[in-house]
Amino acid sequence: MEQREFIDIIRSYRRRLNLAGFLNRLMFALSIGAGVGIVFQLLSFVMPIYYVNHYTVIALILAVAAAAFVSLVRRSTMKQTALVMDSFGFQERIITAYENIRENGILPALQRNDAMERLKRQSDRIRIPLWPNLKKMALPFVLLAVMIGISFIPSRMKEQAKELHQIQKEAREKEEEIEEVLDKLEELAELEKDTLTPEQIAQMQEMVESLQASMSEYQQAASAEALQSAGEKLNYKYVDMSSKMSALAKSMQEGASVSPMSAESMQAMADKLKEMSGNTSPEGGSLASNEGQNGQDNNSDGQGNGQSGQNNGQNSQGNDQNGQSNGQNGQGSDQGGQNGQGSDQSGQNGQGSGQDGQGNGQGDQGSGQNGQGDSYGNGRGTGSVNYAHDYVSIPNDIADSDNLTGNSVDHNNSEYFRAQNGLSWEGTHIPYDEVIESYEKNAYEGIASGKYPSGMENVIKEYFSSF
Amino acid sequence: MSELDRNRLQDPAYMSQWIVDCEREIRKGMIGQGEIIRQVMLAMLTGGNVLLEGMPGLGKTRLVSTIGRVFDLSFKRIQFTPDLMPSDVTGTNIIIKNENGSSFSFERGPIFANLILADEINRATPKTQSALLEAMQEHTVTVGNDSHVLREPFFVLATQNPIENEGTYPLPEAQLDRFMFKILVRFPSKEELKGIVYLTEGSEAPYIEKKMNGEGLLAARALINRIPIADAVMDYILDIVMETHASNPYIREGASPRAAQALIRAARAEAFMEGRFNVSFQDVEWAAYPVLRHRILPSFDAISQGVSEDDIIRGILSTKKPQI
Repeated sequence: MEQREFIDIIRSYRRRLNLAGFLNRLMFALSIGAGVGIVFQLLSFVMPIYYVNHYTVIALILAVAAAAFVSLVRRSTMKQTALVMDSFGFQERIITAYENIRENGILPALQRNDAMERLKRQSDRIRIPLWPNLKKMALPFVLLAVMIGISFIPSRMKEQAKELHQIQKEAREKEEEIEEVLDKLEELAELEKDTLTPEQIAQMQEMVESLQASMSEYQQAASAEALQSAGEKLNYKYVDMSSKMSALAKSMQEGASVSPMSAESMQAMADKLKEMSGNTSPEGGSLASNEGQNGQDNNSDGQGNGQSGQNNGQNSQGNDQNGQSNGQNGQGSDQGGQNGQGSDQSGQNGQGSGQDGQGNGQGDQGSGQNGQGDSYGNGRGTGSVNYAHDYVSIPNDIADSDNLTGNSVDHNNSEYFRAQNGLSWEGTHIPYDEVIESYEKNAYEGIASGKYPSGMENVIKEYFSSF
Repeated sequence: MSELDRNRLQDPAYMSQWIVDCEREIRKGMIGQGEIIRQVMLAMLTGGNVLLEGMPGLGKTRLVSTIGRVFDLSFKRIQFTPDLMPSDVTGTNIIIKNENGSSFSFERGPIFANLILADEINRATPKTQSALLEAMQEHTVTVGNDSHVLREPFFVLATQNPIENEGTYPLPEAQLDRFMFKILVRFPSKEELKGIVYLTEGSEAPYIEKKMNGEGLLAARALINRIPIADAVMDYILDIVMETHASNPYIREGASPRAAQALIRAARAEAFMEGRFNVSFQDVEWAAYPVLRHRILPSFDAISQGVSEDDIIRGILSTKKPQI
């Protein structure tokens, strides 16, 4: 046997040894990876881990990668291979011959010949198994099967994880949206800093801070309720900011020194915010609330408002239990709806019942449908700001006053009636819904700015939506 | 193969075969004790000295005399007693009167032989024991101002009785370290004893043939020193010796560097006698016991718990076993 042949034999065993080592480590790593995967899967039963399957696959991939890396780093050298070969009864002949392959002299030469001769005659004694034994082979596959089996078992926590993930996803989207609005707002403020008054700048700064607070809320949102709450607040803010921006745009348009471009961009921003407010709320209540705001702004067009309200009301019914229950509440207020029929200005009453609202024409129909969604939204939607008012009549004897228009109702209890710009009293007069609106606005602003203790937001909202 | 061919003294295969023949010849004169014969031969082949520990009558003297016969070496036996003087071992200058007057002449002691059997070495005083030190280590004897070189091959085979401690002088560690091997001569089995009885009490003692000579032995020794050792095997040897110095509750003092040297030489000789020209882990393990057992000082714990030196060595070998 030539020296080259001798080295080639060792090299071939080295390849086999390295492959066997890799397969052995691979099986071990797969066992570890599957074990870790099982732990992840089990953990997903007690804590919400949405990406549990991803983590499991990553654990397996890491384990395999680690096996490959360790096999690469710890691959056998020729000497180690020779030693392994010697362990099959060659009594260190091969390693000695390999180490002294270039040594001259009688003894090294004799030793090499002896080793080569032995290797030639007894090479079949060297049995390096390529695959690990059956137990080592079976273990990873059993563990993998268990892991896959566990992954298919449904659990409440897994569902919860999905919901939570959805919430986080929505929250992230909202954060991005807010961030975009913030950027635009800041950009706008920067562009118009010379034309805006300090009050307007402060107003815009206030908007920015308010949006930042909303962003923070979304970042901390960990439940559907928190997300809904944040959505409602954001929606309100959008509406509020839209109106403020509209007002700003209007004032800029009126200002002689301001370019029409600035006013347009401001108005575009306001429109965008308004549009966003329509897309913001994930809940029926919020959608209804949007409509209420829309109604507030666009009340001159009763028909259009009504249509919009109808759509939103239907959405709220279909999407959310809260919306449905609110709608039911709205439907339940028959009395208000009926009263609305009796008067041509009863926007607020009209919100009470969708069915009743249908009887009063398209505008009322819209209100009625909204009532199914959220009674709060309807209230805001149908309540008039400047043009139509719900007045409370003065009971009994005052009804005969000359200053009052309309019919007296037999000196009985008070009645509603609708009047177009029909003022009845001298002096300052603030309509009921305007007062409520003002209070409500302040309350929502307080909620947005974190003025109230945590947990009280819903109480406040419920209070105002009960009107 | 009746006579050693002096032209083939450098042929490892030939010499290896001759050594095996020598061993076979020695076994003709000894019943049992195969392991002891092998170990004594290893010591001879590597130039080491042997301390035999065993009860009287186990054939120690017979072994040495048989080896001397087979290897055709001069053999002297010194019975160590408390009153034995160093000069009784080394020799002394004596006054010689002749026609020219008186002069000192060195009278060689029994140490001037190839094979020395120092029987019951622990019975002599330390002063006399130390007289052997120089001879064992340097293969020289100094008397007065003159140093006398001993004839090669020189080989000391000392014996001591493990049970009779009264009136004995245990060998100091420095002197123990100079023995390459400490061999425990155990009582023979019944079958072996039967063979011994038949051999010694029979009508005719077997004829022991001279197979080797001093020159051949030295040639074999030179060959053995050139046997290659793989790095892994060398590491194993060093690990074993180092492990005797590691924290071990049973070891008070570990082996000296001489132990590593002795282990390498013994493992080489063992491989040579096995007809191999490389050292295996097995050779090392086989040689570890006689090399290390007198170089390890057992601790009080080991003595009190009855843990022998061989047990300690076994533990070291198992922990340091090469992982392949």
